[in-house]
Amino acid sequence: METTKQLLKTTYKYVAVLYLFSMAVSVFWVEDYVPFIIGLTFGVVISVVNFFELARTVHQSVMLHPKKAHSYAIRHYFIRFLINAVVIFISIKAPYINIFGTIIGLLLIKFVIYFANLFNDKEYFKNIIRRKEGE
Amino acid sequence: MEPITGKALVLAASAIGAGLAMIAGIGPGIGQGYAAGKGAEGVGRQPEAQGDIVRTMLLGAAVAETTGIYGLIIALILLFANPLINLL
Repeated sequence: METTKQLLKTTYKYVAVLYLFSMAVSVFWVEDYVPFIIGLTFGVVISVVNFFELARTVHQSVMLHPKKAHSYAIRHYFIRFLINAVVIFISIKAPYINIFGTIIGLLLIKFVIYFANLFNDKEYFKNIIRRKEGE
Repeated sequence: MEPITGKALVLAASAIGAGLAMIAGIGPGIGQGYAAGKGAEGVGRQPEAQGDIVRTMLLGAAVAETTGIYGLIIALILLFANPLINLL
């Protein structure tokens, strides 16, 4: 659990930085920035909670029997999916929340995962263009 | 019988499009379930590698979920905030 906790901590730290940066940018670039910031905050909070729930699900599922782990992971995925659906639906319906802010907030954590764990490795880019037929 | 108006056609096509977009939500669920099953097998075989397995699975599952969210956003926007209606 320690490595997972460390990963969560690092991810949340980057998300917080990116969230503050997005908020600062939106103040200058978005005309009506208050609904955008509300949406951004809403999206970020839900995505952080969802990521924590995902970590808990993964940690629990590896302890189970493979067949049970399969159904457990699917069940929890659909719970998270439903939460995301409710959040997007509320953002569309509520006039005081900007839907684009919510979408950016929901996807902010994914960008952090891409850039903090995948695209920060030079080997990754080398492996993309390396031919593997001879191996 | 009344003729089909442009608005009705756009709404019908949007509903079909929303349904098709929701299919994108099923794939990550199945994939995550499959990965969880294999992860459990891996931990059973090599318990000392649990930390690495969980970490890799967590990152993979989070990235896999993204496409489901994209589909969901498209479907809900088509259903409840359809931008195509304003183009008529």
